[in-house]
Amino acid sequence: MSDDTDVLAPDTLNVGDRVELTFPARGDLVVLARLVSSAISARAGFDIEDLEDLRLAVGELCLLALDGGDAPDGQLRLEFTCSAETLDISCELIGGGSHAGSSNGTGENQQLSQQILAALVDEHGRDESDGVVRAWLRKRRGGPLA
Amino acid sequence: MEQHFNIEERSEQGTTVVAVSGEIDVATAPQLQECLHSLIAGGKTTLILDLLSVTFLDSTALGVLVGALKRCREEGGDLHLVVTDPRIIKIFEITGLTTVFPIADSLASVSVS
Repeated sequence: MSDDTDVLAPDTLNVGDRVELTFPARGDLVVLARLVSSAISARAGFDIEDLEDLRLAVGELCLLALDGGDAPDGQLRLEFTCSAETLDISCELIGGGSHAGSSNGTGENQQLSQQILAALVDEHGRDESDGVVRAWLRKRRGGPLA
Repeated sequence: MEQHFNIEERSEQGTTVVAVSGEIDVATAPQLQECLHSLIAGGKTTLILDLLSVTFLDSTALGVLVGALKRCREEGGDLHLVVTDPRIIKIFEITGLTTVFPIADSLASVSVS
């Protein structure tokens, strides 16, 4: 272990590092976001419990952006940004126009997503601007990044 | 490592048990929804849902379970859950659903009236 705070282990994320993931806006691919979330959270210094929380929370972000249904021709773009004290994650639905609709896309499900996010992360939200739906969260670490 | 999603139905002492394994999420929840709705429509309104081998569950899955619970109770039955994984139980707790579903930690401890 090094005492030099400017040097991080090779498999950790540095403060200011940003990772992007873009994939077709389909529910069956949300698992990709969860997998990447786990890998990034571990490298950002979160413990196993936070890692599991973030895996679930990122899935909920995707569901909020998708509004319960696949978006044909749309893309989900996730951005993970590591700061000294937080991991910020946003999920945007880009393009795709109207949703294809899904039997699971209900206000009740959105409420459940919001409840889950409220319990698992420090801040979260969902907004829509210029036709782009964006859901986001912020999770604080127990301590600052080494 | 990742367990494949699967649904199995069986009867135990006259009650239908639906055992699910793997991840129940937006991709797989519709299969579970179809299974539960089909059973309820067929008159099996008291169900035991064995979630002991479920490794992940999201809000879509919760929505399916709540919908099935409502349908069961409308028909005079109930939907019992069997779950022990603390991560799964935590999801029910944070959404307040531990007070809505009858939840047991083993099939043997489910009390079907």
